[in-house]
Amino acid sequence: MAFGGIILMVLGTYGSVNWHFSFIESLNKMGLPIEPGKTVATIGVMLILLPVLRYFFIGPLQEVIDHRNHELESTFAEAENLRGEMKKMRSDFEARLAETEATAREQIQNQIREAQNLRQQLMNEAAERADTMVRQAQMEIEQEKLNALMVIRSHVVDLTLAAAEKVIGENMDTDKNRRLINEYIETLEVSA
Amino acid sequence: MHALLQLGQTLFAAANSGPVEGASFLGLAVYFGLLLAILAGLMAYAKRGFGVQVFKNPITVLFEHLYLFIENMCVGSIGPNGRKYIPYIMTLWMVIFLSNVMALFFPEAPTADLNFNLGLAVMTILYVQIEGIRTNGFFGHLKHFAGPKLGIWMIPISGMIFCIEIISELMKNLSLSLRLYGNIHGGHMAVESMNALGTSIYIPIGAFLMPLKVLTCVVQALIFTLLTCVYLSLVTHHDVEDHAEAASSVAHAH
Repeated sequence: MAFGGIILMVLGTYGSVNWHFSFIESLNKMGLPIEPGKTVATIGVMLILLPVLRYFFIGPLQEVIDHRNHELESTFAEAENLRGEMKKMRSDFEARLAETEATAREQIQNQIREAQNLRQQLMNEAAERADTMVRQAQMEIEQEKLNALMVIRSHVVDLTLAAAEKVIGENMDTDKNRRLINEYIETLEVSA
Repeated sequence: MHALLQLGQTLFAAANSGPVEGASFLGLAVYFGLLLAILAGLMAYAKRGFGVQVFKNPITVLFEHLYLFIENMCVGSIGPNGRKYIPYIMTLWMVIFLSNVMALFFPEAPTADLNFNLGLAVMTILYVQIEGIRTNGFFGHLKHFAGPKLGIWMIPISGMIFCIEIISELMKNLSLSLRLYGNIHGGHMAVESMNALGTSIYIPIGAFLMPLKVLTCVVQALIFTLLTCVYLSLVTHHDVEDHAEAASSVAHAH
């Protein structure tokens, strides 16, 4: 292309001096300033200029702008991807958070239920133990009461015998007397 | 060496005695060389700012905006495959716009010369034809000139359409070049005429046309490149339509 341009440029230069066409001269006389040499040389120069500008300026400019546009597009695409990922992560996080909250709520409910059961169990055990202790204490009191009655009865018999001895002036501490007094006291207890 | 010197002398002689209106061949070469030097300087300065992700160099930012503008224009009018034409369209835009701007400060500029514009137009139309042939094949591209299928009894109509289309393609060269030439050269002529009006009162009345000329610089570069995109779209859109139709038929089949 550039070689063709050089040839046309030289041809145009030559033509501007040597080409004399009657048709062109008549056009010149009519007011149309046509010189084929100039036209041909112009085409030649432009044929050289086009690849030169394309190679040295327009091509690199195009490359820089395309590269920048490409980078911008890829940055936007990346940003869009990141945005999508962020949205997905957010929804995942929210779902996980909801799931965790539900699990925690369930665990708390279970713990509360367990604690209530444990409390009930402990209260039942304590009540049972208290009842046992009360029963045992009552049994012990009853036993102590019986023991005390036995001792009192023995003392009453002794006192009765001592009093009777004082009244009649002789020893009355025989097994028979003791049995009689005991029987009498028992009848008194029954009537009381 | 002797031949080169002789050529130079001839060119200088032609420049001094040029019977044709506008700059001579040597003049055009000087202005075009100046344009290329300015363009090279701007691009070299802009290229220093390529190293960073976000351009900070103001000239690099300007070129970036120009690139994005051209990209939008190409993709918008040609379609998704229009991106491959960006280097061509951007080169055209820069050359035409810079030349138009030069016309604000210098008595001549490349785009104020009909032959320069004709060169750009011829190259563009040839490029469009090459792209049409590359996209549709040689016969497919020729068939495109004959218009829609009209049936065997309408062959004369198709032949007429073919001839009209061929003439239309040839006229595109003239319309592209004359429009640009007329606007830039006409701007010069208008400024000179208005300045001549104000000579007696020492006021350059033509300077008041400057905002309009600045607008013309942008608009003419835009029109030339936009029309190029439209021409490219006309010869390549069948391919895109066919692909779209094929895609839709496949989708329906599924």
